[in-house]
Amino acid sequence: MTTILFERTGGFMGRKVSLSLDLDALPSDQSEILRGLLETCDFFSLPESPSLPPVPDEFVYFITVVTDTVEHTIQTSDTGMDDSLRPLVEELGRLARKA
Amino acid sequence: MHTHRFIHCIVPPHMLREISRSGSGAQKIAATASLAMSEQVRVNRFGGAASAALATLAAEGVAPGVKQRRVYDAKNGSGLPGILIRGEGQPPVMDAAINEAYDGAGMTYDLFHQIYARNSIDGSGLPLVSTVHYQKGFDNAFWNGSQMVYGDGDEDIPINERLFNRFTACLDVIAHELTHGVTQHEANLNYGGQPGALNESMSDVFGSLVKQYQRGQSAAAADWIIGEGLFIANVNGAGIRSMKAPGSAYDDAVLGKDPQPAHMRDYVNTIEDNGGVHINSGIPNHAFYTACITLGGNAWEKMGRVWYKTLTEKLRASSDFQNAADLTYQSAGELFGAGSTEQTAVKVGWARVGINIHGALEPPTENEGCLAGFLRLLGVR
Ligand SMILES: [Zn+2]
Ligand SMILES: [Zn+2]
Repeated sequence: MTTILFERTGGFMGRKVSLSLDLDALPSDQSEILRGLLETCDFFSLPESPSLPPVPDEFVYFITVVTDTVEHTIQTSDTGMDDSLRPLVEELGRLARKA
Repeated sequence: MHTHRFIHCIVPPHMLREISRSGSGAQKIAATASLAMSEQVRVNRFGGAASAALATLAAEGVAPGVKQRRVYDAKNGSGLPGILIRGEGQPPVMDAAINEAYDGAGMTYDLFHQIYARNSIDGSGLPLVSTVHYQKGFDNAFWNGSQMVYGDGDEDIPINERLFNRFTACLDVIAHELTHGVTQHEANLNYGGQPGALNESMSDVFGSLVKQYQRGQSAAAADWIIGEGLFIANVNGAGIRSMKAPGSAYDDAVLGKDPQPAHMRDYVNTIEDNGGVHINSGIPNHAFYTACITLGGNAWEKMGRVWYKTLTEKLRASSDFQNAADLTYQSAGELFGAGSTEQTAVKVGWARVGINIHGALEPPTENEGCLAGFLRLLGVR
């Protein structure tokens, strides 16, 4: 079992956008893309919070991944994010906005 | 009397520390982030440089300011500022977003310079740097501490599912972002809780004033909508926020309803969005609107000056709504006289949102009601 919880808060509008995905319930091509993105950024090794000062109107992202053995949550933002994490945030953001 | 019940509503650091240790998942992270925010030291604080010029403005006329605009293209990436496309004085290019960012920054500069005698963001001619085409499907704009950043909306999803236009399409959005820079160089309002909502409100106030000044609209004629034209046609909404009637800007099947309050009794306590800075800004926004409508005429001429003086000379990083009410009242008295119609209009504006002017500032008090609410929100109690 692998579940991804995604939340985007803040922004010019201050509107929260969220998404919950059960990778095992997704078509395999989609779940493979997401598993690949989690691996690319080495998700479970990422620090929980970058503790950066807030940036006016910036989005703040919360991502939680739960598997049978581990649960990890991170907070990140567009200006504070490591480049390796961007493809994952972009994909989850796109899916959340479509949802 | 005023309502402290809603005003001093900050979770004490010891409580945040407790939650950051014993909470779980998102609670833990939110508490840690709030803690970092409340303990952060602001290093980039500058004094107000331009406000002193105000007194000499009428006698000597406005000194020629030097606009220095630079618009960059991020080419849908995250690198800032990106590639320089259009510098000051260069002709329009075949890219609407570039030209809108250029023109909008110019119009914002013009209001601050021509009406408030301020030479750019820092009062000393700081170049106005903008980046457009930031990321893909980026339905946002922000001020990163040294420049403006704009996305193209949600162009990455099917057209019938889209909600947003490109973010440079609205002059008031551009002016809103640039004003965050002005605030950073002046009061430097903390970006959280009431100071954060005031920070947001200042950006909406001057964002709207730039548009009104550009259109030559009186307070009565203006729509007071922030981000009019930002939604595409299939959204049921006039714009992102309404200063005239907070809470009524949109009511849409996908977006839901505009959550802004217009009165202190409806102040929203939340840990999201730095304590609801884009929600609770509706309260000071509506106070400004009401003051402008009460006074009549062009909002940028008198009430804009009152708010500008308050932002640049009086507010501090930790100022709350009550402070803003008291200090705008004080500014109006200094500019137009005690008991003037302008000062009375300020009082009427704040009274409309449930805040009464009082002279002396009281020490902050711990508030059990708020604390209990916060704990309930987190599911701790
Ligand atoms: Zn803002
Ligand atoms: Zn008080």
